[in-house]
Amino acid sequence: MLSGGGVGAHPAGSRGLGFRGAMAAASSGADMFDDIVMAEERFHGEGYREGYAEGSHIGVVEGRRHGSLHGAKIGSEVGCYLGFALTWQCLLHKCTDEKNSKKIKVLDSLIGMIRKFPYEDPTYDKLQEDLEKIRGKFKQVCSILNIQSDFRISTERSSLTF
Amino acid sequence: AQTATASDTAGVKSEHHERLVAHVLLPCSSFSCVTTLEGHENEVKSVAWAPSGNLLATCSRDKSVWVWEVDEEEEYECVSVLNSHTQDVKHVVWHPNQELLASASYDDTVKLYHEEEDDWVCCATLEGHESTVWSVAFDRSGKRLASCSDDKTVRIWRQYKPGNEEGVACSGTDPTWKCVCNLSGFHTRTIYDVAWCHLTGALATACGDDAIRVFEESSPAAPQQPTFSLAAHVARAHSQDVNCVAWNPKEPGLLASCSDDGEIAFWKYQRPEVC
Repeated sequence: MLSGGGVGAHPAGSRGLGFRGAMAAASSGADMFDDIVMAEERFHGEGYREGYAEGSHIGVVEGRRHGSLHGAKIGSEVGCYLGFALTWQCLLHKCTDEKNSKKIKVLDSLIGMIRKFPYEDPTYDKLQEDLEKIRGKFKQVCSILNIQSDFRISTERSSLTF
Repeated sequence: AQTATASDTAGVKSEHHERLVAHVLLPCSSFSCVTTLEGHENEVKSVAWAPSGNLLATCSRDKSVWVWEVDEEEEYECVSVLNSHTQDVKHVVWHPNQELLASASYDDTVKLYHEEEDDWVCCATLEGHESTVWSVAFDRSGKRLASCSDDKTVRIWRQYKPGNEEGVACSGTDPTWKCVCNLSGFHTRTIYDVAWCHLTGALATACGDDAIRVFEESSPAAPQQPTFSLAAHVARAHSQDVNCVAWNPKEPGLLASCSDDGEIAFWKYQRPEVC
């Protein structure tokens, strides 16, 4: 549209070189310079795209590794609580006096919370919140059973701290 | 055993208050440990009895709040471990006549808890302070709560029940607590404690600038937007940080304070005739 306006304002053929010819040369020249002037930006864009693709790939790998590690930690923690609770539930069911029924009630509550915990859904928005509630309930269970919550779980010297 | 030595009655008199210092050491003979409660992972910061006397709350640097129940045989049993705060919990306090618990934390929030279906749950989070909340205090009715913070402000929160006339939104059946007043510009350092007198309604603060301040609600009170004015200010109440203040529940205007300077001071506060 710029060249169109130019044609209207200056009649062609008044000089040696036709105006249209001059415009064509100038515009191809501008394209050539454009390539140079814009090179940095173009390469920057290309680099960004390539880097983004590679970064995404590496990120997915890293995230996957981190997720599986973190998930395994949570799984083993919650699994440990469940095994602990089920064992005690089993032990306490043998004699159900009033004192024990209170303990069993709290154990049942912990087991119920763990059973409801959605392991298979890492995007569950209350994952951390629910995990904290399970941890709290486990501490309550330990307190009621009169067991130190940082007890050692096996003959190995691995402490039950997560 | 130490014997009681109530000495050092240094009197600093001014218009509205006088100061009495006492170092009191109780004889230990009548004092024995009945039981020890274990469970917190590290420093336990605060402990409070519920008005019924059957419940006890504790909080700790381990970010948790524990609720204990006492049965007839004086056996203590953990009823709940609440992991709602994301940082150290500094203070716990009970509602004056309901089983509603409030906690203040380094995570800049105040949280409220009540019992729901056999377990305790966090039913409200009061957000607004810009730094550690050191302490909280209910007024006599329990409908309002004062919180003091490292951000040098005291905030007054008011309870709005579902279906309230003012149209404050509530989620479900839980009341909403809304900040209705912010006392800023009075304190020059962190505020460690706040005490709300249930007899007179006066609000006292203990501050890191060694001062004690008393605020009075300006009447006529507008419940939606109450205003408090500084009624008394003792600039050098102690020679170091004032850590805690407490109103006597029977004698109006009798305030006790304690400080890093190792002293406990008693204050006689008289409400100004005209605010």
